Amino acid sequence: MVQLGSCLLRGRGGNVVIRFALGGCTNRPFFRIVVANSRRPRDGKYLEQLGCLDPLPNAHGEKVAGLNLERLRYWLGCGAQLSRPAEKLLGLAGFLPLHPMTVTAAERLRRQRQREQQQPEAAPADSTAEPGTNTAPGTDTAP
Amino acid sequence: MLPALRRCRPGPVPLPALAAALGPGPFPALCPGWSPRAVPARGRKSRHDPPAKSKVGRVKLPPPVDPEELLVVLERYRQHRLVLNALRAEFRAEVLQKKREERLAAAGSLEEQEEHRRLMAWNDEENARQRARREERLRKQEEEEKRKKLEIAEKQARKMEAFVEEKEKEVLQLQEEAKNFITLENLEARIEECLDNPRNYNFAIDKDGRIVKRTVLS
Repeated sequence: MVQLGSCLLRGRGGNVVIRFALGGCTNRPFFRIVVANSRRPRDGKYLEQLGCLDPLPNAHGEKVAGLNLERLRYWLGCGAQLSRPAEKLLGLAGFLPLHPMTVTAAERLRRQRQREQQQPEAAPADSTAEPGTNTAPGTDTAP
Repeated sequence: MLPALRRCRPGPVPLPALAAALGPGPFPALCPGWSPRAVPARGRKSRHDPPAKSKVGRVKLPPPVDPEELLVVLERYRQHRLVLNALRAEFRAEVLQKKREERLAAAGSLEEQEEHRRLMAWNDEENARQRARREERLRKQEEEEKRKKLEIAEKQARKMEAFVEEKEKEVLQLQEEAKNFITLENLEARIEECLDNPRNYNFAIDKDGRIVKRTVLS
């Protein structure tokens, strides 16, 4: 088995990142929120585990996540970068400000829902209007 | 975000309608910074497999970008980054503070610090004393050297003076003797003089150079 540890750490520069490591089984993902060197594999050796996230909703419809805020502060103070999903999760948790794309996605969803709501209103309005107009020409064109 | 800016169009337009309106083929005018990919980025096929016949006229366009929304999003990103950097700075300060406190705590109790300070003061005094002695020594050495140099220079000057005096004396003596030299003008006068005053060199001298007046026999 080839150990790539020293090649990773003594070649080009790398940086410390806080990201999600995927675990679990088929059709059952589970994420661990982990501090690792950015050049390690996603599920490889990490420096420290700062929490976990269960992406599937539980019996009460909640998605549960656990965070170690003390150590998170320490690593952020040491200069760790965050991956985008980690940033979004921390924004939703309230530890960091909300990520812009979370807000934008919510706005887009709301706009789409409004559009969909307006379209069914327009469609029944059209369909109720159409039989009224269709009956007249139908009687006219009847041989 | 910059590729999105480049891809800006007026308002979100549904893709199939646009594609149907403009017909098949690439639309470089609409998205000048984007060109359709010849090879797809991911999928079951590798880069050496040809695309399927059903995809012959397919043109993949990037997602449409609403410029107002884009500006709003950029502003949100800017503020988000401001807040994030401020938080990072604060956490960094926290970590440094903790490290400092830990170091101070590990340094030891008050007595140890007191003793450390005392010993450091004593060490400084010793260093100062040694430095004073060393400086004294160096100063004396320098003075000695200067004095010696002066002496040597004086001796040299004196030697030069003596030499010069000797030479001057020799020159004067020569000048004096030069008065008695026989030159071309004096030649005839001197010859006459010598011939007029014959001198008798018929005498003996002893080992000390004195002229012998009386002989053994007499």
